[in-house]
Amino acid sequence: MPVPLYGFLQGDTVGLLILAEETETLQALARKLQDAASLRVAARGAVRLVYKDKTMDEGLTVAQAGFEALDRFDVLTG
Amino acid sequence: MLSREEWLPLARKLDWNYSYVREDEVFPEVISGRPWLPHSEWKDWEESFKTSYREYVDNQYEKDMAVQAVRDAVGRIENVQKLALPWLNSLKIHAAALPLAEFTGVVGNLRGARFGRDSAWRTMATFGALDEYRHTQIPLLLFHPLLRLDSQFDWAHKFYHTNNWFAVAARHFIDEIILGQNAIEFHIATNFVFETGFTNLQFVGLASLARESSDHMFERMVTSIQTDEARHAQIGHPVLATVMKHDPKYAQYLVDKWFWRNWRLFSILTGLSIDYLTAPDQRPYSFKEFMEEWIIDQFLRTLDEFGLEKPWYWDLLLDELDIYHHMIYASAYSYRATLWFNFVIPGPAERKWLRHKYPKYWDDMDAVWEQISERWRTVGPGAENEFAVHGTAMPTFCDLCQLPLSAGTPRKNTARVLVHAGRKYIFCSEPCQWIFLHEPERYASHKDIVKRVLSGEAPAELPKLLTEYFNLTPETWGKDVHHGNYEWLGNRKDPAA
Repeated sequence: MPVPLYGFLQGDTVGLLILAEETETLQALARKLQDAASLRVAARGAVRLVYKDKTMDEGLTVAQAGFEALDRFDVLTG
Repeated sequence: MLSREEWLPLARKLDWNYSYVREDEVFPEVISGRPWLPHSEWKDWEESFKTSYREYVDNQYEKDMAVQAVRDAVGRIENVQKLALPWLNSLKIHAAALPLAEFTGVVGNLRGARFGRDSAWRTMATFGALDEYRHTQIPLLLFHPLLRLDSQFDWAHKFYHTNNWFAVAARHFIDEIILGQNAIEFHIATNFVFETGFTNLQFVGLASLARESSDHMFERMVTSIQTDEARHAQIGHPVLATVMKHDPKYAQYLVDKWFWRNWRLFSILTGLSIDYLTAPDQRPYSFKEFMEEWIIDQFLRTLDEFGLEKPWYWDLLLDELDIYHHMIYASAYSYRATLWFNFVIPGPAERKWLRHKYPKYWDDMDAVWEQISERWRTVGPGAENEFAVHGTAMPTFCDLCQLPLSAGTPRKNTARVLVHAGRKYIFCSEPCQWIFLHEPERYASHKDIVKRVLSGEAPAELPKLLTEYFNLTPETWGKDVHHGNYEWLGNRKDPAA
């Protein structure tokens, strides 16, 4: 069951609705947001995913990280 | 027979004592508004115009004839065809947003004409209702015939009857400020904040832009409307003064709330027109400069006259002058098919102008436009490539203003999630959340577009969302006015080829 999340990519002008799979890693989730915003924001190699003010381990899955429907996450550069 | 000077004060101030009903039954708080006060507290209600019905009709007739004359002279389709394409799309925004919003003003004023607390107030609100009826008719008269030129002008009638995301946001605002409002809050929010505080953006700012753009029909229309606004906007001042005397905290809340809600809508309506849809050499000022001169400075002086404080979010608002409408325009460009008008990419000369006017955050916005431009370079120009330079993921919306979550800066979006009564909400900014938390019972059950999609009320698939829910068609949905065919992109196609 996909988990709808509010994704905010640093450099972008609008938040996007991202449908996450519970089993996908946060690295894949960050990439999914970058792809969704690629019209406006150039891809950057090193990014980190921030959830509830904490930088998350990118190897965790969405379920392991405790994401719930309509939570916010940010993908930041640097 | 009484002279005008003898008769008018009698006609305007015609209040009486009730013998078989109570005053609070004639003017219930739920529809007259709060604080509920006896008429003795309102009996000195006064405004400066003191017009009679005969004078009103004579004046309006003259103004209507002047509009008609300009329409006959320069309002034909061949005249409109000569306007620059970006400006024509500014007209489409206003053709949709203006007429039926003005019609709700008829309803709001008629509520004041019945439930206003003094007869002079009710007299003035009656004229206000007649004004707003005129403000509905004029733009419909001028804009809807342009449907023969361009099917996107169909939205002059259609806009508020659709579930287009911007219509949902505009309706959320208009329904609350005008249609569903009690007389006191209506007259403070609409006359004092909306008309005194903000409509200078439309009626002074846009009128001068129209003149620079050689659009004399639009210039005449907004100038004619402004003469009415200047009169009926006066209703708000004595209403606010009385509320301020009896409940200053509530007066401050209403001003703070409605200044923010007006700012959200007008920054889009007017900000996009001034800074993007007018040719650079026809922009006498930037949107920010106009806001500072005509809105910010004047509004602060007016607040001071009433003994009101600056809204608590003032520093945030000043910061937003540099960025909010730029965030919205870039977002809307990349989702242009969700709207009923066309867009233009700011080219190098425009971006240089924007950098000069908005140095604080322009580096970040410039990077966004460079990325969008690069996509057009990659796919090449052409109507067939519109969707290759278009967003595909669902954009998100604020649960208060219903506008895209585009507040803050590209570096730090200020959206915030709130759990209220077991349900999750998201707001674009702290003031939107603050307004929600003051009156959650008013806002909590409303669903933004994302929630409608997630609940199955609206289709998730973009083509279906555009056609079945937003009421757009391939002919009417928004496009790049040049389909990416810009000389400065270095990939221009010869239109004749």
